[in-house]
Amino acid sequence: MRPSNFLMLVVMIFAQATIFADGGTVQLRQEAGALVITVFTSPAPLSAGPVDISLLLQNRNGLEPVLDAEVSLLLRADALSGEVRAHATREQAQNKLLYAVPVMLAKSGKWQVAITILRKGQRTDATGTIYVAPAPEMAASHWSYIAFTPLMIVIFVVRERLMRRKPKG
Amino acid sequence: MDPVAAAVLSSWSLDLKTVGLLLAVAALYLRGWLHLRAELPRKYTAGRLAAFAGGLVVILLALVSPVDAFGDMLLSAHTIQHLLLIMAAPPLVLLGQPVLPLLRGLPRWIFKDALGPFLRWRELKKVGGAIVHPIVSWFTFAIVIIVWHLPRFYELALHSQAWHQGEHACFFWSAMAFWWPVIGVWPTHPIRLRWAMIPYLLLADLVNTGLSAVLSFSDHVLYASYQLAPRLWGISALGDQSAAGAIMWVPGSIAFLLPAVMLGMRALDPGGIHPIRLNTRLRVPRLPAKGPWDLLRTPILGPILRHRHFRRSVQLAMLLLAAVVAVDGFFGPQIAPMNLAGVLPWTYWRGLAVIALVMAGNLFCLACPFTLPRDLARRFVSPRYRWPRRLRSKWIAAGLLAAYFWAYDAFSLWDSPRLTAWIILGYFLAAFVVDTVFKGASFCKYVCPIGQFHFVHSLVSPLQVKVREPAVCGSCSTHDCIRGNNRQRGCELHLFQPKKVGNFDCTFCLDCVQACPQQNVGILHVLPGGNIRDDGRASGTGRLNRRLDVAVLVLILVFGAFVNAAGMTEPVMMWIHHWHARLEFRSMGPIVTALYAGGLLILPAILAAACGWVSHCWGRAGNSWKDLTCSFTLALIPVGFGMWLAHFSNHLVAGWSSFVPAAERVLSRVSTGIYPRAWIPSWLPSLELVLLGLGLLLTLYSAWAVACRVADGDRAALAVMSPWAILAGALYSIGVWIVFQPMQMRGMTMMH
Repeated sequence: MRPSNFLMLVVMIFAQATIFADGGTVQLRQEAGALVITVFTSPAPLSAGPVDISLLLQNRNGLEPVLDAEVSLLLRADALSGEVRAHATREQAQNKLLYAVPVMLAKSGKWQVAITILRKGQRTDATGTIYVAPAPEMAASHWSYIAFTPLMIVIFVVRERLMRRKPKG
Repeated sequence: MDPVAAAVLSSWSLDLKTVGLLLAVAALYLRGWLHLRAELPRKYTAGRLAAFAGGLVVILLALVSPVDAFGDMLLSAHTIQHLLLIMAAPPLVLLGQPVLPLLRGLPRWIFKDALGPFLRWRELKKVGGAIVHPIVSWFTFAIVIIVWHLPRFYELALHSQAWHQGEHACFFWSAMAFWWPVIGVWPTHPIRLRWAMIPYLLLADLVNTGLSAVLSFSDHVLYASYQLAPRLWGISALGDQSAAGAIMWVPGSIAFLLPAVMLGMRALDPGGIHPIRLNTRLRVPRLPAKGPWDLLRTPILGPILRHRHFRRSVQLAMLLLAAVVAVDGFFGPQIAPMNLAGVLPWTYWRGLAVIALVMAGNLFCLACPFTLPRDLARRFVSPRYRWPRRLRSKWIAAGLLAAYFWAYDAFSLWDSPRLTAWIILGYFLAAFVVDTVFKGASFCKYVCPIGQFHFVHSLVSPLQVKVREPAVCGSCSTHDCIRGNNRQRGCELHLFQPKKVGNFDCTFCLDCVQACPQQNVGILHVLPGGNIRDDGRASGTGRLNRRLDVAVLVLILVFGAFVNAAGMTEPVMMWIHHWHARLEFRSMGPIVTALYAGGLLILPAILAAACGWVSHCWGRAGNSWKDLTCSFTLALIPVGFGMWLAHFSNHLVAGWSSFVPAAERVLSRVSTGIYPRAWIPSWLPSLELVLLGLGLLLTLYSAWAVACRVADGDRAALAVMSPWAILAGALYSIGVWIVFQPMQMRGMTMMH
């Protein structure tokens, strides 16, 4: 493929891209042991499917970020759909103050989150509930890619009409 | 360094989509700038290039740096991000005078043919001019800034990624319109009263100051999300909000006041302020007509491809690979994911072959190992017979192709390493027997079903083995490209280069390239699908749009794409199992046979005949039903190819690592027992939709071109193409449905 055409293909594909990163909406905030734990989720609004869960751990005194902990998550849905275990790390986070992990939440509804933090031999536990909305329809979440084709057809029709126009004067 | 500070500074997200888009835009600008620099060195200086690049870097900083990572927690970080998108990036991008370089950076056909009518559209120019008119752009900018800072809308953006992206887009593009008249960007007319830009900027600063003051002096937190956000480094939510106000106030005001001061100083200059003439007098340089891009003339790849032993080396490597795969298929474990014969042909080879087709051309036939043994045998035994005249068509190949598609599902070839090995062996034997009896490349041209797949789909490839200068061939009397010479054989598929049209029947063997004493054959860039729309007679193939055998072959391939992919989806598999249980057949064979007979032969025949009949009724007198059907059937190739691409790229991407366990087992001769797992990235359905959409667009464009050729006037053309457009649209819709279905990941361990 000619390099300039390849470039155009890259532009077209990337131009339709969306950004998906950690951080996001605050879901939980708790004080547990010597720590203040804040749980973020992304995407916003949180819906069933692949999601990013990230945690900020801070010392209760001075709110200094804690960067040397081991964080495990256990997510259990109210409905009988099993459980998800995950290990959140700073390497997986964009914001390196956070511990993040991508997980698959298969169902919508309430999910119980159990957080276990190990730091300097001390274990801290926290629990909470997050609400997961139903997964958006695949077609709805990919609407821009589907709309791309009719949009190009409309543009082509306009172009053809312009081509057939007689120049004024 | 303090670990917290280090963590903050390392909070970058090298988001491939953002970085990829910015790099592609930068490359487009650079390409155009290099052209313009050669023609207008005083207008397109290094400073403009640096300004544009700086603008893109600022956008990158705003979207992937720690500023973005901390935007959720700190309003001050979020404000810096917005300032970068409003105050820094747009003026820098506009200082690069980007319109002309970006247009010149586009491929010539897009700039001239696709965009040309829009660039000349008077009404569109008026709309563009109105958007960047100072009064309109000022009010738009002010309204956008104020509205998005209202708590209701700011919260909306914080709670939804889509709205957040919309907010950023509003900020950036309204700022582009705002800064446009200040900088004076070509092609708009300059503002005659340049001093008017001074109050323009000062009034904008007033809006900015008002908003900053509200943030700075408010006694409560305006945005609830930041009230809930964790507090970092002891900064309270109110303190963070005040800091955000200060950031908006001071650097924001500088961004407005600095250009106002510069304009004021110019106003005090004895010469006064005058319109920026640089851009108004700029005329679009005419694009020089260049010959098509030639792969064989590229610096590194060209000499490698032209090397006399290049093809043989690639074929030899593929022969060794085929031998290893066949041996593993016969003697290895009969578990597809753990066997090279279950992984390499079905996951890798198919995916890479279609990618090669869309990126370059028929590279599979170039590297085909099946013809290597017969080439060796021909050193000792020369074939005596010509391929029978009656069989010089695609009927045998079309039948074999349909049988192959059916056998793939009926015998689960993808799940049987031994059957895969038998197919490989059978292929070698068939090529050997046919080509030691018959002259030329009879097997490739008339028998090989895989070859037909590549011949048909290479009609939408961007590269073609083609004559460089037709005039040179006009004076040639030896015709070495087809007859050969004592050094090199000529084309075995009877394609005479000066009269060759398109890639159909071309194996990319490069025999003609080697044979031509004038070195007048290259691998040239062509518009994808151009030959689908042509009506010319070509050497060795005749007029494709008059050949019923080719039309049938194309229909099998187009509908085969959808039947084959649909056969992997959960609903279709459930349907097959349902009917299997209901009819109490011993095996799935009859159901699969019915599915393929209906989907691959009966339904396409009925639909194509019906569409052809409608076109015949509405078309110009003199176009036969058969000719119309054959012509429009060719136009369906791209939509079918889009489905093949989407399907095979799904296998390739999802099973990218599937080679590892099989290779480990072969090398260590010990099975780890670990099956490859399918990994389906979130962007894969999007890519598949893009591929399908591009296929549909090319099909519609080709059908339109055919319709314009066979009908009188636009209305008649629209009527003639409408049944085919509906058929293509229906196929595309089925493709979209397939993409969204749970799919059996063959050779893998999971479903998605």
